[in-house]
Amino acid sequence: MNVSRKAAWLTRLVTASALALGVAGLFGAAASAASASTGTGYLRLAHLSPNTPAVDVYLYSFGDSSAMVVLHHVAYGDVSAYESVASGEYTVAMRAAGASASSKPVLSTTIDVVSGDAYTVAGVGPFAGLKLQVLDDRLTTPTHKALVRVIQASMHQTSVTVTAGSKTLGSDLNFTTVTRYKAVNPGTVTVTATGTTEHGSTQYTLAAGTIYTFVVLDDSGHLKVTGLVDSSGANSMPQGGAQTGFGGTAARPGDSLLPWAAAAAAGLLVAGGGLVRLRRRRRPAMHAR
Amino acid sequence: MPAENDTPAGRHISPIRVVRRPVAAAILVCGILAVGAGVTGLALASQTGRPATPVGKPTFAPIPVGKQAPVPLPSVRRVARPVALVIPAIGVSTTLVHLGLTPSGALQVPSSTSVAGWYTGSARPGAIGSAVIAGHIDSVSGPGVFFRLRLLHRGSRVYVRRANGSVAVFEVTAVHTYLKSHFPTEAVYGPEPDAELRLITCGGTFDYATGHYLSNVIAYATLVQ
Repeated sequence: MNVSRKAAWLTRLVTASALALGVAGLFGAAASAASASTGTGYLRLAHLSPNTPAVDVYLYSFGDSSAMVVLHHVAYGDVSAYESVASGEYTVAMRAAGASASSKPVLSTTIDVVSGDAYTVAGVGPFAGLKLQVLDDRLTTPTHKALVRVIQASMHQTSVTVTAGSKTLGSDLNFTTVTRYKAVNPGTVTVTATGTTEHGSTQYTLAAGTIYTFVVLDDSGHLKVTGLVDSSGANSMPQGGAQTGFGGTAARPGDSLLPWAAAAAAGLLVAGGGLVRLRRRRRPAMHAR
Repeated sequence: MPAENDTPAGRHISPIRVVRRPVAAAILVCGILAVGAGVTGLALASQTGRPATPVGKPTFAPIPVGKQAPVPLPSVRRVARPVALVIPAIGVSTTLVHLGLTPSGALQVPSSTSVAGWYTGSARPGAIGSAVIAGHIDSVSGPGVFFRLRLLHRGSRVYVRRANGSVAVFEVTAVHTYLKSHFPTEAVYGPEPDAELRLITCGGTFDYATGHYLSNVIAYATLVQ
């Protein structure tokens, strides 16, 4: 091959590579900047209205007419697992179970999901006054404690007191009341709901670092207490980082990029010298011949 | 073929001429080789011991688009304890030891650099919360079980086998490097509403004075099945 052409080709190759690297770098920076602005939140859906028939629950990204998720035949007492969703606005709509997806929803609400936060969207109240309520679900606990709250979803018992062991989680709770979270010691406890004429209880093991919601529900002739895990963390938080290396593959303190850079530079000089030699000494050599 | 014919302007050199100038050609080749070695050396040298830099922000898989989905009720069943970890993307296949806390309250690490360990104070893989698995990046002489952890990227699959034979499958959502002085305790060990996995090893600069790396590399993953 023609050397000057080869040199030009090499130059172009190097330029193109540098350009490509630069462009890739730019795209990389742009990509990480874009992903930095989005995060994930969590949504779960609940039916807590005793005399409301089963519903289909639709989750839409705000402004999008096709549903991201449809939960079919959600009945009183049902609570879904969390869906992780990109932060942003969402619409939750309820339709009678089996109703067409294009029919007018019985009710709907919008919710702004903030990155890192978790929400429960619950249908609450009597059928006649059904509404969708958005609850903020806590995602941090005090050290070595469990967090517990109560949703009072019994319509038959208008005033309910809920205890976990000797600790009172809520007194004289009216239908649709949601208590604040309370810190309790971990361990196995009996959670008891006592209404004016009915009561109910459940045994539950509470772990440190974990957050719970207990739901009081109407059941035939008594109250039913259901425990939900809102979120769960380590029961003891290790301090600081982990010492997971002994340095066998680490750069030595004396290690420097300089020798390699010098080698590359020297190589360039030598190669340049060789190239010049090849070209400059051609003519005299021909004459000698 | 006469060289003069294909070099009318005296600016071209035929392969034959190159052969006739072996010294010059050899110098050219040596020079190119030296450049290659230098650049390769630069690339390799700049890979090890690099300073702590985040390699990505947490990003998460969107929930599936679809018309139909059963009501996914929260899993209340207990999952079995984890016994083995497989990460095909980086050639990891290891049994899991149990890790607790050191007397000073830090995370205990495996006594062997060739196995990973599950922190028993964290969730069991597949249960709600973050399951935490730690492994060494290296021993005093060579790579450890999590040597290539930082090369994981979003979408890489991680498999955890449990004592009852069941397998939890996770998908990596992000890989970050943090200075240990800024360890994200809440993001790693704090409460999560779904089943997550955190893989921890060392990275960044190695401090020969203390015998420890200055940073931790953490891979975040979420349960997919």
